[in-house]
Amino acid sequence: MTEPTRTGMGASLRRIGLIARHTLREALHLRLTRLIALAGGGLVFSALELREFNFGGSEGKFLADFGLGALGLSGMLLAALAMAHLFFSSIAGGAACILLTRPVRRWEFVWGKLAGVFAVLALFSAAIGLVLAGLLVWRGIPVATPVFACAVAVLWLKLSLVAAMTLLVCSYAGSALFASSAGLLLALLGHLRPLAGESGRLHWLRVWPDFELFDGGALLAAGQVPPAATLLAVMVYWAGYVMILGQLAAYAFKRREF
Amino acid sequence: MTAAPDVPWAIELSGFVKRYATSWLGRGRVAVHPLSLRLAPGQVLGLLGPNGSGKSTTLKALAGLLAPTAGACRIFGHLAGSNAARALVGYLPESPQFPAYLSGRELLHYCAGLSSLHPATAGPRIAEVLAWTGLGAAADQRLGTYSKGMLQRIGLAQAVVHDPPLVLLDEPAGGLDPAGRLALHRLIRDLAARGKTVVFSSHLLPQAEAVCDRIAILGRGRLLSEGTPAELLGVEPVTLPQPCRLEKLYLEKVDAHD
Repeated sequence: MTEPTRTGMGASLRRIGLIARHTLREALHLRLTRLIALAGGGLVFSALELREFNFGGSEGKFLADFGLGALGLSGMLLAALAMAHLFFSSIAGGAACILLTRPVRRWEFVWGKLAGVFAVLALFSAAIGLVLAGLLVWRGIPVATPVFACAVAVLWLKLSLVAAMTLLVCSYAGSALFASSAGLLLALLGHLRPLAGESGRLHWLRVWPDFELFDGGALLAAGQVPPAATLLAVMVYWAGYVMILGQLAAYAFKRREF
Repeated sequence: MTAAPDVPWAIELSGFVKRYATSWLGRGRVAVHPLSLRLAPGQVLGLLGPNGSGKSTTLKALAGLLAPTAGACRIFGHLAGSNAARALVGYLPESPQFPAYLSGRELLHYCAGLSSLHPATAGPRIAEVLAWTGLGAAADQRLGTYSKGMLQRIGLAQAVVHDPPLVLLDEPAGGLDPAGRLALHRLIRDLAARGKTVVFSSHLLPQAEAVCDRIAILGRGRLLSEGTPAELLGVEPVTLPQPCRLEKLYLEKVDAHD
Protein backbone atom coordinates (compact mmCIF):
# COMPACT_ATOMS: atom_id res chain seq x y z
CA MET A 1 0.00 0.00 0.00
CA THR A 2 1.60 3.23 -1.08
CA GLU A 3 -0.72 5.80 0.50
CA PRO A 4 0.10 7.28 3.89
CA THR A 5 -2.33 6.00 6.50
CA ARG A 6 -3.27 6.86 10.07
CA THR A 7 -2.74 4.36 12.84
CA GLY A 8 -3.16 4.11 16.62
CA MET A 9 -5.94 5.05 19.02
CA GLY A 10 -6.55 8.36 17.26
CA ALA A 11 -7.23 6.49 14.04
CA SER A 12 -9.63 4.17 15.88
CA LEU A 13 -11.55 7.14 17.27
CA ARG A 14 -11.69 8.72 13.82
CA ARG A 15 -13.11 5.52 12.32
CA ILE A 16 -15.67 5.29 15.13
CA GLY A 17 -16.63 8.91 14.45
CA LEU A 18 -16.90 8.20 10.73
CA ILE A 19 -19.17 5.18 11.29
CA ALA A 20 -21.25 7.19 13.79
CA ARG A 21 -21.68 10.09 11.35
CA HIS A 22 -22.61 7.68 8.59
CA THR A 23 -25.11 5.93 10.88
CA LEU A 24 -26.70 9.26 11.85
CA ARG A 25 -26.97 10.28 8.22
CA GLU A 26 -28.54 6.94 7.32
CA ALA A 27 -31.00 7.24 10.19
CA LEU A 28 -32.12 10.67 9.02
CA HIS A 29 -32.90 9.15 5.61
CA LEU A 30 -35.01 6.41 7.17
CA ARG A 31 -38.78 6.65 6.95
CA LEU A 32 -38.94 4.80 10.25
CA THR A 33 -37.13 7.62 12.08
CA ARG A 34 -39.36 10.30 10.60
CA LEU A 35 -42.48 8.27 11.29
CA ILE A 36 -41.61 7.71 14.95
CA ALA A 37 -40.61 11.36 15.36
CA LEU A 38 -43.95 12.43 13.89
CA ALA A 39 -45.81 9.94 16.07
CA GLY A 40 -43.91 11.19 19.15
CA GLY A 41 -44.73 14.81 18.34
CA GLY A 42 -48.35 13.85 17.68
CA LEU A 43 -48.52 12.02 21.00
CA VAL A 44 -47.25 15.10 22.81
CA PHE A 45 -49.92 17.22 21.14
CA SER A 46 -52.60 14.63 21.90
CA ALA A 47 -52.09 15.54 25.58
CA LEU A 48 -54.17 18.64 24.85
CA GLU A 49 -57.15 16.48 23.94
CA LEU A 50 -56.68 14.19 26.91
CA ARG A 51 -56.35 16.91 29.54
CA GLU A 52 -59.64 16.04 31.18
CA PHE A 53 -58.18 12.66 32.28
CA ASN A 54 -55.81 14.41 34.66
CA PHE A 55 -56.89 12.53 37.79
CA GLY A 56 -57.22 15.77 39.69
CA GLY A 57 -53.77 17.08 38.88
CA SER A 58 -53.06 20.48 37.37
CA GLU A 59 -53.04 20.92 33.60
CA GLY A 60 -49.35 21.74 33.67
CA LYS A 61 -48.43 18.58 35.54
CA PHE A 62 -50.58 16.45 33.25
CA LEU A 63 -49.15 17.94 30.06
CA ALA A 64 -45.57 17.59 31.30
CA ASP A 65 -46.06 14.02 32.55
CA PHE A 66 -47.91 12.93 29.43
CA GLY A 67 -45.43 14.67 27.15
CA LEU A 68 -42.39 13.14 28.83
CA GLY A 69 -44.17 9.77 28.79
CA ALA A 70 -44.76 10.16 25.07
CA LEU A 71 -41.09 11.04 24.59
CA GLY A 72 -40.04 8.00 26.62
CA LEU A 73 -42.39 5.60 24.84
CA SER A 74 -41.70 6.72 21.28
CA GLY A 75 -38.02 7.10 22.12
CA MET A 76 -37.80 3.52 23.35
CA LEU A 77 -39.45 2.32 20.15
CA LEU A 78 -37.01 4.39 18.12
CA ALA A 79 -34.02 3.18 20.15
CA ALA A 80 -34.86 -0.49 19.63
CA LEU A 81 -36.13 -0.30 16.04
CA ALA A 82 -33.53 2.12 14.71
CA MET A 83 -30.65 0.35 16.43
CA ALA A 84 -31.68 -3.01 14.96
CA HIS A 85 -32.43 -1.61 11.52
CA LEU A 86 -29.24 0.43 11.25
CA PHE A 87 -27.13 -2.44 12.51
CA PHE A 88 -28.57 -5.03 10.16
CA SER A 89 -28.62 -2.71 7.15
CA SER A 90 -24.87 -2.36 7.65
CA ILE A 91 -24.19 -6.06 7.70
CA ALA A 92 -26.86 -7.32 5.29
CA GLY A 93 -25.79 -8.57 1.90
CA GLY A 94 -22.35 -7.40 0.99
CA ALA A 95 -22.46 -4.25 3.10
CA ALA A 96 -20.55 -5.75 6.04
CA CYS A 97 -17.94 -7.16 3.69
CA ILE A 98 -17.15 -3.69 2.41
CA LEU A 99 -16.73 -2.32 5.93
CA LEU A 100 -15.15 -5.20 7.78
CA THR A 101 -12.53 -6.15 5.21
CA ARG A 102 -10.92 -2.77 5.87
CA PRO A 103 -8.68 -2.12 8.86
CA VAL A 104 -11.82 -1.48 10.93
CA ARG A 105 -11.79 -3.49 14.13
CA ARG A 106 -15.07 -5.16 15.06
CA TRP A 107 -15.30 -3.17 18.30
CA GLU A 108 -14.86 0.05 16.34
CA PHE A 109 -17.80 -0.92 14.15
CA VAL A 110 -19.98 -1.76 17.18
CA TRP A 111 -19.13 1.44 19.07
CA GLY A 112 -19.49 3.53 15.92
CA LYS A 113 -22.99 2.18 15.37
CA LEU A 114 -23.90 2.78 19.01
CA ALA A 115 -22.53 6.32 18.95
CA GLY A 116 -24.51 7.04 15.77
CA VAL A 117 -27.75 5.83 17.37
CA PHE A 118 -26.97 7.85 20.51
CA ALA A 119 -26.76 10.91 18.25
CA VAL A 120 -30.08 10.02 16.60
CA LEU A 121 -31.70 9.68 20.03
CA ALA A 122 -30.19 12.97 21.18
CA LEU A 123 -31.67 14.76 18.16
CA PHE A 124 -35.00 13.02 18.71
CA SER A 125 -35.10 13.86 22.43
CA ALA A 126 -34.17 17.47 21.75
CA ALA A 127 -36.82 17.80 19.02
CA ILE A 128 -39.66 16.24 21.03
CA GLY A 129 -38.48 18.10 24.13
CA LEU A 130 -38.71 21.38 22.22
CA VAL A 131 -42.21 20.50 21.02
CA LEU A 132 -43.27 19.76 24.60
CA ALA A 133 -41.63 22.93 25.93
CA GLY A 134 -43.37 24.94 23.19
CA LEU A 135 -46.71 23.39 24.13
CA LEU A 136 -46.23 24.19 27.82
CA VAL A 137 -45.26 27.78 27.07
CA TRP A 138 -48.24 28.14 24.71
CA ARG A 139 -50.58 26.98 27.49
CA GLY A 140 -49.04 29.56 29.79
CA ILE A 141 -47.41 26.98 32.06
CA PRO A 142 -44.08 28.14 33.49
CA VAL A 143 -41.14 25.95 32.48
CA ALA A 144 -37.93 26.01 34.49
CA THR A 145 -35.50 25.54 31.61
CA PRO A 146 -32.64 23.87 33.53
CA VAL A 147 -35.00 21.38 35.19
CA PHE A 148 -36.77 20.65 31.93
CA ALA A 149 -33.48 20.21 30.05
CA CYS A 150 -32.23 17.94 32.84
CA ALA A 151 -35.41 15.83 32.65
CA VAL A 152 -35.04 15.40 28.87
CA ALA A 153 -31.33 14.60 29.23
CA VAL A 154 -32.07 11.95 31.85
CA LEU A 155 -34.67 10.43 29.53
CA TRP A 156 -32.05 10.38 26.78
CA LEU A 157 -29.79 8.38 29.10
CA LYS A 158 -32.57 5.81 29.44
CA LEU A 159 -33.19 5.66 25.69
CA SER A 160 -29.50 5.20 24.99
CA LEU A 161 -29.44 2.29 27.44
CA VAL A 162 -32.29 0.69 25.48
CA ALA A 163 -30.22 1.16 22.31
CA ALA A 164 -27.21 -0.48 23.99
CA MET A 165 -29.37 -3.42 25.12
CA THR A 166 -30.68 -3.84 21.57
CA LEU A 167 -27.14 -3.64 20.21
CA LEU A 168 -26.14 -6.52 22.48
CA VAL A 169 -28.89 -8.66 20.93
CA CYS A 170 -28.00 -7.44 17.40
CA SER A 171 -24.42 -8.58 17.83
CA TYR A 172 -25.42 -12.24 17.70
CA ALA A 173 -29.02 -12.23 16.41
CA GLY A 174 -30.00 -13.21 12.90
CA SER A 175 -32.72 -10.68 12.18
CA ALA A 176 -33.61 -7.08 12.92
CA LEU A 177 -37.13 -8.06 13.96
CA PHE A 178 -35.87 -10.44 16.64
CA ALA A 179 -33.25 -7.96 17.83
CA SER A 180 -35.69 -5.06 18.16
CA SER A 181 -38.31 -7.23 19.93
CA ALA A 182 -35.72 -8.63 22.31
CA GLY A 183 -34.33 -5.14 22.88
CA LEU A 184 -37.77 -3.89 23.91
CA LEU A 185 -38.20 -6.88 26.23
CA LEU A 186 -34.86 -6.10 27.86
CA ALA A 187 -36.03 -2.50 28.27
CA LEU A 188 -39.16 -3.80 29.97
CA LEU A 189 -36.93 -5.65 32.43
CA GLY A 190 -35.37 -2.30 33.30
CA HIS A 191 -38.81 -1.02 34.25
CA LEU A 192 -39.48 -4.12 36.36
CA ARG A 193 -36.24 -3.64 38.29
CA PRO A 194 -37.97 -2.13 41.36
CA LEU A 195 -39.73 -5.50 41.79
CA ALA A 196 -36.39 -7.18 42.43
CA GLY A 197 -36.45 -6.39 46.14
CA GLU A 198 -33.85 -7.69 48.57
CA SER A 199 -34.66 -11.34 48.00
CA GLY A 200 -37.14 -13.62 46.30
CA ARG A 201 -37.68 -14.94 42.82
CA LEU A 202 -36.95 -11.67 41.03
CA HIS A 203 -33.73 -11.03 42.91
CA TRP A 204 -31.75 -11.70 39.71
CA LEU A 205 -33.23 -8.50 38.25
CA ARG A 206 -30.80 -6.57 40.44
CA VAL A 207 -28.05 -7.05 37.86
CA TRP A 208 -30.11 -5.19 35.28
CA PRO A 209 -30.13 -1.36 34.97
CA ASP A 210 -32.78 0.33 37.09
CA PHE A 211 -34.77 2.63 34.80
CA GLU A 212 -36.33 4.36 37.82
CA LEU A 213 -33.09 6.32 38.08
CA PHE A 214 -33.86 7.87 34.71
CA ASP A 215 -37.37 9.12 35.55
CA GLY A 216 -37.53 12.51 33.89
CA GLY A 217 -41.15 13.03 35.01
CA ALA A 218 -40.22 12.69 38.69
CA LEU A 219 -37.35 15.09 38.20
CA LEU A 220 -39.65 17.64 36.61
CA ALA A 221 -42.23 17.17 39.37
CA ALA A 222 -39.55 17.85 42.00
CA GLY A 223 -39.06 21.20 40.31
CA GLN A 224 -35.34 21.52 40.87
CA VAL A 225 -32.14 20.22 39.36
CA PRO A 226 -30.71 17.41 41.52
CA PRO A 227 -27.38 18.01 43.24
CA ALA A 228 -24.32 17.64 41.04
CA ALA A 229 -23.19 14.58 43.01
CA THR A 230 -26.49 12.80 42.29
CA LEU A 231 -26.30 13.65 38.60
CA LEU A 232 -22.71 12.46 38.49
CA ALA A 233 -23.66 9.18 40.18
CA VAL A 234 -26.44 8.61 37.62
CA MET A 235 -24.02 9.38 34.78
CA VAL A 236 -21.44 6.94 36.15
CA TYR A 237 -24.16 4.30 36.59
CA TRP A 238 -25.28 4.87 32.98
CA ALA A 239 -21.73 4.89 31.60
CA GLY A 240 -20.91 1.66 33.45
CA TYR A 241 -23.86 -0.18 31.93
CA VAL A 242 -23.20 1.27 28.46
CA MET A 243 -19.59 0.09 28.68
CA ILE A 244 -20.61 -3.40 29.80
CA LEU A 245 -23.33 -3.78 27.16
CA GLY A 246 -21.13 -2.31 24.41
CA GLN A 247 -18.15 -4.50 25.25
CA LEU A 248 -20.31 -7.63 25.43
CA ALA A 249 -21.75 -6.71 22.02
CA ALA A 250 -18.25 -6.14 20.64
CA TYR A 251 -17.12 -9.51 21.99
CA ALA A 252 -20.09 -11.34 20.46
CA PHE A 253 -19.72 -9.50 17.15
CA LYS A 254 -16.03 -10.33 16.95
CA ARG A 255 -16.91 -14.00 16.61
CA ARG A 256 -19.51 -13.41 13.94
CA GLU A 257 -18.83 -14.67 10.39
CA PHE A 258 -20.18 -13.33 7.12
CA MET B 1 5.17 -20.29 -10.17
CA THR B 2 7.72 -18.83 -7.82
CA ALA B 3 8.04 -15.94 -5.42
CA ALA B 4 11.41 -14.37 -4.69
CA PRO B 5 12.99 -15.93 -1.56
CA ASP B 6 12.58 -12.75 0.51
CA VAL B 7 9.11 -11.89 -0.84
CA PRO B 8 6.16 -13.64 0.83
CA TRP B 9 3.41 -15.17 -1.25
CA ALA B 10 0.58 -12.78 -2.02
CA ILE B 11 -1.82 -15.46 -0.84
CA GLU B 12 -0.99 -18.72 0.83
CA LEU B 13 -3.64 -21.24 1.83
CA SER B 14 -2.23 -24.12 3.87
CA GLY B 15 -4.66 -26.95 4.46
CA PHE B 16 -7.51 -24.46 4.67
CA VAL B 17 -10.76 -26.12 5.76
CA LYS B 18 -14.10 -24.47 6.32
CA ARG B 19 -17.00 -26.24 7.94
CA TYR B 20 -20.30 -24.40 8.46
CA ALA B 21 -22.35 -25.42 11.48
CA THR B 22 -25.83 -26.46 10.42
CA SER B 23 -27.34 -27.15 13.82
CA TRP B 24 -26.42 -27.38 17.48
CA LEU B 25 -25.99 -31.13 17.28
CA GLY B 26 -24.94 -31.75 13.68
CA ARG B 27 -21.34 -31.79 12.52
CA GLY B 28 -22.08 -29.21 9.88
CA ARG B 29 -21.42 -28.95 6.18
CA VAL B 30 -17.89 -28.85 4.84
CA ALA B 31 -17.66 -26.00 2.32
CA VAL B 32 -13.94 -26.34 1.68
CA HIS B 33 -11.89 -29.50 2.19
CA PRO B 34 -8.18 -29.13 2.90
CA LEU B 35 -7.10 -26.61 0.30
CA SER B 36 -3.53 -25.52 -0.27
CA LEU B 37 -2.82 -22.81 -2.79
CA ARG B 38 -0.17 -20.17 -3.30
CA LEU B 39 0.03 -17.16 -5.56
CA ALA B 40 3.00 -14.93 -6.27
CA PRO B 41 2.57 -11.14 -6.09
CA GLY B 42 1.42 -9.42 -9.26
CA GLN B 43 -0.50 -12.39 -10.67
CA VAL B 44 -4.17 -12.82 -11.51
CA LEU B 45 -5.80 -15.97 -10.18
CA GLY B 46 -9.23 -17.09 -11.35
CA LEU B 47 -11.24 -19.32 -9.03
CA LEU B 48 -13.58 -21.36 -11.18
CA GLY B 49 -16.17 -23.91 -10.26
CA PRO B 50 -19.89 -24.56 -10.06
CA ASN B 51 -22.13 -22.98 -7.43
CA GLY B 52 -21.32 -24.35 -3.98
CA SER B 53 -17.77 -25.30 -4.91
CA GLY B 54 -16.22 -23.07 -2.23
CA LYS B 55 -15.08 -20.09 -4.30
CA SER B 56 -16.83 -17.42 -2.23
CA THR B 57 -15.89 -19.16 1.03
CA THR B 58 -12.23 -19.13 0.01
CA LEU B 59 -12.38 -15.45 -0.95
CA LYS B 60 -14.16 -14.56 2.30
CA ALA B 61 -11.55 -16.43 4.32
CA LEU B 62 -8.80 -14.51 2.52
CA ALA B 63 -10.68 -11.28 3.24
CA GLY B 64 -10.87 -12.20 6.93
CA LEU B 65 -14.65 -12.47 7.03
CA LEU B 66 -14.54 -16.17 7.91
CA ALA B 67 -12.23 -17.97 10.28
CA PRO B 68 -10.75 -21.24 8.98
CA THR B 69 -12.01 -24.37 10.73
CA ALA B 70 -8.52 -25.78 10.16
CA GLY B 71 -5.38 -24.70 8.37
CA ALA B 72 -4.33 -21.13 7.71
CA CYS B 73 -4.78 -18.36 5.17
CA ARG B 74 -2.01 -15.81 4.82
CA ILE B 75 -1.85 -12.52 2.95
CA PHE B 76 1.72 -11.40 2.22
CA GLY B 77 2.78 -13.43 5.24
CA HIS B 78 0.13 -12.03 7.60
CA LEU B 79 -2.72 -14.17 8.90
CA ALA B 80 -5.91 -13.31 6.99
CA GLY B 81 -8.24 -11.24 9.14
CA SER B 82 -5.44 -9.62 11.11
CA ASN B 83 -5.26 -5.85 10.95
CA ALA B 84 -2.01 -6.03 9.01
CA ALA B 85 -3.59 -8.35 6.42
CA ARG B 86 -6.78 -6.30 6.08
CA ALA B 87 -4.77 -3.19 5.31
CA LEU B 88 -3.38 -5.05 2.28
CA VAL B 89 -6.70 -6.26 0.89
CA GLY B 90 -9.41 -4.72 -1.26
CA TYR B 91 -12.60 -6.77 -1.51
CA LEU B 92 -15.64 -6.66 -3.76
CA PRO B 93 -18.43 -8.96 -2.53
CA GLU B 94 -20.70 -10.86 -4.86
CA SER B 95 -23.76 -8.64 -4.39
CA PRO B 96 -22.56 -5.39 -2.88
CA GLN B 97 -25.19 -3.17 -1.31
CA PHE B 98 -24.42 0.51 -1.15
CA PRO B 99 -26.44 3.22 0.61
CA ALA B 100 -28.66 4.63 -2.14
CA TYR B 101 -28.53 8.18 -0.74
CA LEU B 102 -24.74 8.49 -1.04
CA SER B 103 -23.05 9.67 -4.21
CA GLY B 104 -20.22 7.63 -5.69
CA ARG B 105 -17.68 10.16 -4.45
CA GLU B 106 -19.17 10.18 -0.92
CA LEU B 107 -19.02 6.38 -0.79
CA LEU B 108 -15.36 6.44 -1.75
CA HIS B 109 -14.62 9.13 0.85
CA TYR B 110 -16.32 6.94 3.47
CA CYS B 111 -14.33 3.87 2.40
CA ALA B 112 -11.09 5.84 2.23
CA GLY B 113 -11.72 7.16 5.75
CA LEU B 114 -12.36 3.66 7.07
CA SER B 115 -9.13 2.54 5.45
CA SER B 116 -7.45 5.41 7.36
CA LEU B 117 -6.33 7.05 4.15
CA HIS B 118 -4.92 10.45 4.99
CA PRO B 119 -7.37 13.23 4.00
CA ALA B 120 -4.60 14.99 2.07
CA THR B 121 -4.21 12.04 -0.26
CA ALA B 122 -7.80 10.80 -0.24
CA GLY B 123 -9.24 13.49 -2.56
CA PRO B 124 -6.76 13.07 -5.43
CA ARG B 125 -6.79 9.28 -5.04
CA ILE B 126 -10.60 9.18 -5.23
CA ALA B 127 -10.59 11.36 -8.35
CA GLU B 128 -8.00 9.03 -9.88
CA VAL B 129 -10.00 5.90 -9.08
CA LEU B 130 -13.24 7.43 -10.37
CA ALA B 131 -11.54 8.32 -13.65
CA TRP B 132 -9.97 4.86 -13.87
CA THR B 133 -13.36 3.15 -13.52
CA GLY B 134 -14.98 5.58 -15.96
CA LEU B 135 -17.27 7.05 -13.30
CA GLY B 136 -15.84 10.56 -13.26
CA ALA B 137 -18.95 12.09 -14.82
CA ALA B 138 -21.32 10.21 -12.49
CA ALA B 139 -19.25 10.74 -9.34
CA ASP B 140 -21.75 13.12 -7.74
CA GLN B 141 -24.88 11.20 -8.71
CA ARG B 142 -26.65 9.24 -5.99
CA LEU B 143 -25.87 5.52 -6.01
CA GLY B 144 -29.60 4.84 -6.15
CA THR B 145 -29.56 6.10 -9.73
CA TYR B 146 -26.61 3.93 -10.84
CA SER B 147 -27.07 1.06 -13.30
CA LYS B 148 -25.89 -2.46 -12.44
CA GLY B 149 -22.69 -1.92 -14.42
CA MET B 150 -21.98 1.38 -12.70
CA LEU B 151 -22.59 -0.20 -9.29
CA GLN B 152 -20.13 -2.94 -10.14
CA ARG B 153 -17.57 -0.35 -11.19
CA ILE B 154 -18.07 1.71 -8.01
CA GLY B 155 -17.71 -1.59 -6.15
CA LEU B 156 -14.37 -2.11 -7.83
CA ALA B 157 -13.45 1.50 -7.08
CA GLN B 158 -14.11 1.07 -3.34
CA ALA B 159 -12.02 -2.11 -3.39
CA VAL B 160 -8.97 -0.30 -4.76
CA VAL B 161 -9.41 3.20 -3.32
CA HIS B 162 -6.78 2.57 -0.63
CA ASP B 163 -4.40 1.14 -3.23
CA PRO B 164 -4.15 -2.37 -1.75
CA PRO B 165 -1.61 -4.79 -3.22
CA LEU B 166 -4.18 -7.62 -3.20
CA VAL B 167 -7.67 -7.27 -4.72
CA LEU B 168 -10.31 -9.97 -4.13
CA LEU B 169 -13.33 -9.92 -6.43
CA ASP B 170 -16.27 -12.26 -5.91
CA GLU B 171 -18.15 -12.78 -9.19
CA PRO B 172 -17.29 -9.28 -10.40
CA ALA B 173 -18.88 -9.83 -13.81
CA GLY B 174 -22.16 -11.16 -12.43
CA GLY B 175 -25.11 -9.50 -14.16
CA LEU B 176 -22.98 -7.33 -16.42
CA ASP B 177 -23.68 -6.91 -20.11
CA PRO B 178 -20.96 -7.95 -22.61
CA ALA B 179 -19.53 -4.43 -22.85
CA GLY B 180 -19.44 -4.17 -19.06
CA ARG B 181 -17.71 -7.54 -18.79
CA LEU B 182 -15.07 -6.56 -21.31
CA ALA B 183 -14.47 -3.25 -19.52
CA LEU B 184 -14.19 -5.05 -16.18
CA HIS B 185 -11.70 -7.57 -17.50
CA ARG B 186 -9.59 -4.80 -18.95
CA LEU B 187 -9.62 -3.15 -15.51
CA ILE B 188 -8.46 -6.42 -13.94
CA ARG B 189 -5.61 -6.71 -16.44
CA ASP B 190 -4.77 -3.08 -15.77
CA LEU B 191 -4.55 -3.82 -12.03
CA ALA B 192 -2.13 -6.65 -12.80
CA ALA B 193 -0.11 -4.32 -15.01
CA ARG B 194 0.20 -1.98 -12.02
CA GLY B 195 1.68 -4.83 -10.01
CA LYS B 196 -1.44 -5.73 -8.04
CA THR B 197 -2.36 -9.29 -7.24
CA VAL B 198 -5.94 -10.10 -8.19
CA VAL B 199 -8.00 -13.11 -7.16
CA PHE B 200 -11.49 -13.37 -8.59
CA SER B 201 -14.21 -15.96 -8.92
CA SER B 202 -16.18 -16.38 -12.10
CA HIS B 203 -18.43 -18.60 -14.13
CA LEU B 204 -17.31 -16.95 -17.36
CA LEU B 205 -14.70 -19.38 -18.60
CA PRO B 206 -13.59 -17.68 -21.85
CA GLN B 207 -12.93 -14.42 -20.02
CA ALA B 208 -11.14 -16.24 -17.22
CA GLU B 209 -8.91 -17.95 -19.75
CA ALA B 210 -8.03 -14.60 -21.27
CA VAL B 211 -7.56 -12.63 -18.05
CA CYS B 212 -5.89 -15.03 -15.63
CA ASP B 213 -2.24 -15.86 -15.12
CA ARG B 214 -3.32 -18.85 -13.07
CA ILE B 215 -6.56 -20.75 -12.73
CA ALA B 216 -7.82 -22.92 -9.89
CA ILE B 217 -10.82 -25.14 -10.52
CA LEU B 218 -12.82 -26.07 -7.44
CA GLY B 219 -15.54 -28.68 -7.11
CA ARG B 220 -17.50 -29.43 -3.95
CA GLY B 221 -14.88 -27.68 -1.88
CA ARG B 222 -11.91 -29.53 -3.35
CA LEU B 223 -9.15 -28.26 -5.60
CA LEU B 224 -9.59 -30.19 -8.85
CA SER B 225 -6.92 -28.51 -10.91
CA GLU B 226 -4.54 -25.56 -10.70
CA GLY B 227 -1.98 -23.98 -12.99
CA THR B 228 -1.50 -21.48 -15.78
CA PRO B 229 -4.02 -21.61 -18.62
CA ALA B 230 -1.27 -22.97 -20.85
CA GLU B 231 -0.42 -25.73 -18.37
CA LEU B 232 -4.06 -26.68 -17.94
CA LEU B 233 -5.01 -26.50 -21.61
CA GLY B 234 -1.75 -27.59 -23.17
CA VAL B 235 -1.99 -24.63 -25.58
CA GLU B 236 -1.39 -20.91 -25.31
CA PRO B 237 -4.46 -19.10 -23.97
CA VAL B 238 -6.38 -16.50 -25.90
CA THR B 239 -5.68 -12.84 -25.20
CA LEU B 240 -8.09 -10.02 -24.55
CA PRO B 241 -10.30 -8.93 -26.17
CA GLN B 242 -11.72 -12.10 -27.69
CA PRO B 243 -15.50 -11.82 -27.61
CA CYS B 244 -17.50 -14.54 -29.33
CA ARG B 245 -19.23 -13.80 -32.65
CA LEU B 246 -22.53 -12.87 -31.07
CA GLU B 247 -20.74 -10.63 -28.56
CA LYS B 248 -18.88 -8.97 -31.45
CA LEU B 249 -22.16 -8.31 -33.23
CA TYR B 250 -23.76 -7.06 -29.99
CA LEU B 251 -20.88 -4.72 -29.27
CA GLU B 252 -20.90 -3.37 -32.84
CA LYS B 253 -24.63 -2.64 -32.62
CA VAL B 254 -24.43 -1.07 -29.17
CA ASP B 255 -21.36 1.00 -30.07
CA ALA B 256 -23.04 2.16 -33.29
CA HIS B 257 -26.14 3.17 -31.34
CA ASP B 258 -24.11 5.06 -28.74
